[in-house]
Formats: sequence, structure tokens, C-alpha cells
Amino acid sequence: MNVPVHHFLYLGAFLFSAGLVVVISKRNTILVLLGLELMLNASNLNLVAFNRLHPGTLQGQMFAIFVIVVAVCEAAVGLAIVLRIYQEYQTSVPDDVNELNL
Amino acid sequence: MAALAFPLLSFALSFYISEKYSWITSVLASFLLLLGALASAVVLYQAWNHPPFNYSLEWFSLGGYAFSAGLHIHNVSALMLFIVTGVSFLVHLYSVGYMAGDGGIRRYFAMLGFFTFAMQGIVVSGNLLMTFVFWELVGFSSYMLIGHWHEIPAAAEASKRAFIINRVGDAGFLVGLMIVWAHGHSFDIVVLQQLPVDPTWMTLASLGIFCGVVGKSAQFPLFTWLPDAMVGPTPVSALIHAATMVAAGVFLLARVHFLFTVPTLHVVAVVGCTTALLGAVSALAQHDIKKILAYSTLSQLGLMVVALGAGSPQAALLHLFTHAFFKACLFLAAGAVIHTLHQAQHQSHVHFDVQDIRNLGGLQKKLPFTFLIFVIGGSALAGLPFTSGFLSKDAILTALVQWKGEGFSWKLLILVIVALVSFLTVVYTFRMIWKIFKGTETATAQLHISEPPAVMRAPMAVLAGVSLWIWFSWNPFDFSGWMYLNIGEVKPFHSGIVSIASAVWVMLALGVAYATRQATFGSPALLNAFYFDRLLKQFVEKPILQLAALTHHADKKWIDGFLHATAYAQLIVAHLTGWFDRAIVDGLVDGVAGAAKGLGSFTRSFQGGKIQLYIFWATFGIIIFIIWTLL
Repeated sequence: MNVPVHHFLYLGAFLFSAGLVVVISKRNTILVLLGLELMLNASNLNLVAFNRLHPGTLQGQMFAIFVIVVAVCEAAVGLAIVLRIYQEYQTSVPDDVNELNL
Repeated sequence: MAALAFPLLSFALSFYISEKYSWITSVLASFLLLLGALASAVVLYQAWNHPPFNYSLEWFSLGGYAFSAGLHIHNVSALMLFIVTGVSFLVHLYSVGYMAGDGGIRRYFAMLGFFTFAMQGIVVSGNLLMTFVFWELVGFSSYMLIGHWHEIPAAAEASKRAFIINRVGDAGFLVGLMIVWAHGHSFDIVVLQQLPVDPTWMTLASLGIFCGVVGKSAQFPLFTWLPDAMVGPTPVSALIHAATMVAAGVFLLARVHFLFTVPTLHVVAVVGCTTALLGAVSALAQHDIKKILAYSTLSQLGLMVVALGAGSPQAALLHLFTHAFFKACLFLAAGAVIHTLHQAQHQSHVHFDVQDIRNLGGLQKKLPFTFLIFVIGGSALAGLPFTSGFLSKDAILTALVQWKGEGFSWKLLILVIVALVSFLTVVYTFRMIWKIFKGTETATAQLHISEPPAVMRAPMAVLAGVSLWIWFSWNPFDFSGWMYLNIGEVKPFHSGIVSIASAVWVMLALGVAYATRQATFGSPALLNAFYFDRLLKQFVEKPILQLAALTHHADKKWIDGFLHATAYAQLIVAHLTGWFDRAIVDGLVDGVAGAAKGLGSFTRSFQGGKIQLYIFWATFGIIIFIIWTLL
């Protein structure tokens, strides 16, 4: 099965845009983190897809795995922050945490 | 400079100290004046017999001409500076006692300091314009001080009067200054000294300047303010008569003596002579202690002016300096009498006019110290031998003898009048002393009178001390001592005959004074200085009032009509501009403000602390950037 590269790119762009929309529009911080994951996975998809243009190399896949590892760390740290914020302010909506803004 | 700064500082500080601590003001002002006096003593020490010290800096420039302000200190001004500050310090010290408990003590000391500062300005100024400025300041501060007790109508009246009469003279002064400027393009005294003289214009200019002197030094015909000014506090009278104000005129006259042409000098001599005679005769008839002293000042100032007119500024200045001391001394002594009697009256609730010598008498036993001071000061005023007054009067008489020359002219008449004046001086002085201190007590018999406090006695003692001859010349019969020789270039012409004649003359007068001690010279004409006031009223005030009524009418009819028309026109224009202002200018301003506000809230919305908005704008920016670079 030989799917052309641009199909993967379309899917990646769609996923990235969907992630961006989620990041920008969702009020809940957890959903924002979810959106971020979506965007990271879209970029992973792009990396893997572009690697098909260079058969015999694995840099794209390596990068994708690297990104997944970093994303796990990021998700862990981000969720921890969300948890602390919730304990502190009884909310997980970033707009309500405006102490530094006042 | 420091000598000038202290009285000014005293003036400024006196206003800053709160009403509650007003006693601090009096002590502080006296202390500052002491510092000022010390500073001026240093100036005197440094400037004495050195080449004149000149300092000038550009003040402002007008139409291409630069006006400078500067100092000019030589022997005369350094000496005068010291005397002014010294006498002023003594008066300050005396006032601490005299004015104790007065409500306006801060204002009083502030103006006293300012007065001294203004007078010092006249003394050290090397520039006629600057002199004029300080001249006006002296006028203003004298106005404030004479009217110190402004709740008394007479005081308010007298202060206004002094101010206005001085203005009349100052108008002449200003005209004189303008003529000087038109000819020399400079007000600098040093520059003016080298000016080529145009006789006609210089006569006019010097007459103008003399007008100012007439006003300030209370010469005929502008003298009436000086006796009226006696309603002010007595220390102020002492200051006005001795060191500041009236001395300013004579000092200025001596300063710009080089500008005066022969005809002007004749006018000066005649005016001075008239004043001297008028003052001496009027002083005979007065009942009020202070008025006697005021008229005596008039006559002494007249003598100084005569000496200036006779071309001897040295003699005039010597008399000015000696007069400063003994007249201040006499005023302070008179003030002591008035003060102690007021205090005594206050305790025993008896009321009579304490300044009226008809109510006084026999105070020698109760006030022995004041009596002694009064006698010393009075002797100096009368010109008895061994006093400073004898020396300076001798100097004036000698100058006059030299001036009249050989032959027989009107100048001889002036000499005779001056001799008569010095005779009368003895008579009225000792008549006053007799009436106050000798004889039997009348109204004061029941009063419990004690000597004034030490803070008042000390300045009197100092001033009485310097009324002796020793400070001015070692030889009590030779006026050409160190001071006389160093205040002018002219070598003195000294005649022993004049000294002896003057001594004999004064002794004769003393005899006459003793013989007529009980007599009163009660002519109403003398009492009112020959009704000079009324004369002025009749011949100057009435026509002026009529003229004023006429101009008032014209003013009402024509000028007011014109003014109303212009006022309406202005109103219409004002409405138009008002509309324009509101609609266009304000609209523009409001529009700009509104735009700024909108822009501000718009940009503020980017910084709202909303994280997701930041992300949105960041992404938006990146997209724009990518589109920009790729396309």
C-alpha cells in the first residue's frame, strides 16, 4: 500500500489545527493540555511521514519517539501544576488564576 | 555681601516663625543684625583707605543696552554701611524691650530687617538704577513701619502720606535718571564720573535727582510727612531719622555730587536753608516730644543739604554720621520716657498724653539714667563743645564761611540763617530737656516710674557714648579728624576763629535757653509749621481736585462710553470664540483623548492576563509572518 505523503500532511495539519483550536478555546486547563498533546502528535505524524521520503534512515522515527518522551514529561509536569493550582485556587480554569495580573 | 544678607535673612525668618513663638523673632532678628553689623565692620576694615571696590554684573538688557547692577564700596559707603547696620542693630535690640507684648511683633521685626537691607542697598550700590530700586524699597518699608499700628487712623493716614509725598519726589528722581541715561547711556556711578558735562541738561538732571532727595530727606516743600510719621513706634522713628530713610537722601546727594552744576547747588543751598530755618522755628513751638525731635531732624537735614549746596559733601557727611548717632540716641531716650510712662500709666489707670511735654516735668529723679542720656544726646544735637555735633556743625559753618567768600552776597544771608538755626537748636533742645526732666512734677507725680529694662538702656548708652567728640576727632575743637579727612578728597579749610565763635555762640544760646526755659512759644502758626499743610491744601490740592473733577466728568462721558462700546464688542467676540473653543478646539482635544483611550483599551486587551489569548495572538502573529515571508 503506497499512500502519498501529502495525505499524511493533510491529516497532520488537521490534527495540529484541531489541537490549536482546543488549546485556544477550551477553558479547562486539562483540555488545554489535551490540545497540546494533539499538536505534538500532529508533528510526530509529520516527522514519520517525511521520513518516508528518505528510505533507509530512521531519524524521523527517532525524533518522533524523542518527542513522545518529552511529551510524557511535559504532561506529567503540566498535570502536576494543574493539580497544585486546583488545590490552591479551587479551580482549573487558567483565566481565574489572575493573581499576578491584579 | 554678607552684611546685606543678614537683615534680609532676618526679614525672611521673621515671617516663618509662628505667632506663638514671636519672642524668638525679636531675639533672632537682633542676633542677625549683630552678625550684620560685625560683617559690615569687616567690610569697613577692609575697604578703609583702599582703592574703591567695584563689582558689576549685567542685570538685564533692553533694546540693545545692557543695564548692570553693581557694588561700589569706598570709604564713605563702607563707613555708612557700618553706621546703618550698627544703629539698626541697636534699634533692634532696643525694640526687643520697647515692642515686647505687641501683637504684630513679627511683622515689625520683618520690616525692620527689610528696611535696613534696603538702606544698605542704597549705600553700597554703584549704580543709579539699583539705587532707585532700593530707594523705592526704603519708601515701601517705611510705609509699613510708620503704619505699624494701622488700627490707629492717624498712623494709617501718616503712612499713606509719607508714601505719597515720597512718590512725588521720586517722580522727579526718575526724570533725572532718564536725563542722565539719555546723555551717558549708563547708570554706573564710576562711568558717570567721567562723563563730559552738558551744563543745561546736567542742571535739569541734577534738579530731578534733587527732587527725589527733597522727598526722601524731607526738605522744603515736601517735609510734612516727617513730623506726621511720628505716630509710628519710637524705635522706627529713631531708625528713620538716624540711619535709614532721611539719611538716604543726603547720602545720595553726596554720592552724585559730581553731577550737580552750580545753579543746582544754589537751589540746593536755598532749599536746605529754608528747611533748616523752618524746622528750627517750628521745633520751638511743639509740645510733643517726638514732634520736637522730628522738626529738629528737619533742621539738621537742612543744614546737611546747605553744606552740600555749599560744595562740601565732607561736612554734610560728617554731620550725617554724627547726627545718625545722637539723633538715634535722643529718639531712643524719648522712647524710654514714653515707654516707662506708658507702663506706669497702665498700672495706675491714669490717662494723659505722655508725649506732651506740658504734662511732664521733674523726671530727673525718677529717670536719672535716661536724663543723662538725654543730656548727652541733646548736647550733641545742640552742638555744645566736646560733642560730635559741635564738630560737624563746625565743619558745616567753616564750609559756609569758605563758600561765601569775600564780599557781600546772598550767600552771607545763608550763613547768617545757619548760625541762627544752630542758635535755635540749642534753645529748643534745652527747653525740651528742661520741661521733661526739671521743674516740678505735674501729671506724673503719683505714678510709680522705674527705669527701662537693660535691653533698652544698653543701646541708649552705646549711642550716647558715640555722641562724644572722641570718635570723630581727637581734638574737640578741630573737626578735621580721621573721619573728615578720609571721606573726601578736598583738604579741609580749618579756621580756629570759626570754632571759637561757634563755641561762644552756642554758649550764648545756652544762656538764652536757660533764661527762656519757662516760656512757651505758643503761636499756632509755629505749631503747625506755618500752616504749610494748609497752604499745600489750598494751592495744590484744590486745583488738583478741580482738575480731577473735570477729568472725572470727561472720563464718565467719553471714555466710559467708548469703553462700554468696546466692552460690548469684546463680549460678542468672546461669545464667538467661546463657541469655537467648545465646538472645535474642545472637540478636537476630546477626540484626540477619546482616540488615545480607545487605542489604549484596545492594546490593553492584548495584555489581559489571559494565557489562551496570548497563544492566539502568538499563533496569529506566526501565521502572518509565514504568509508574509512565503508570499
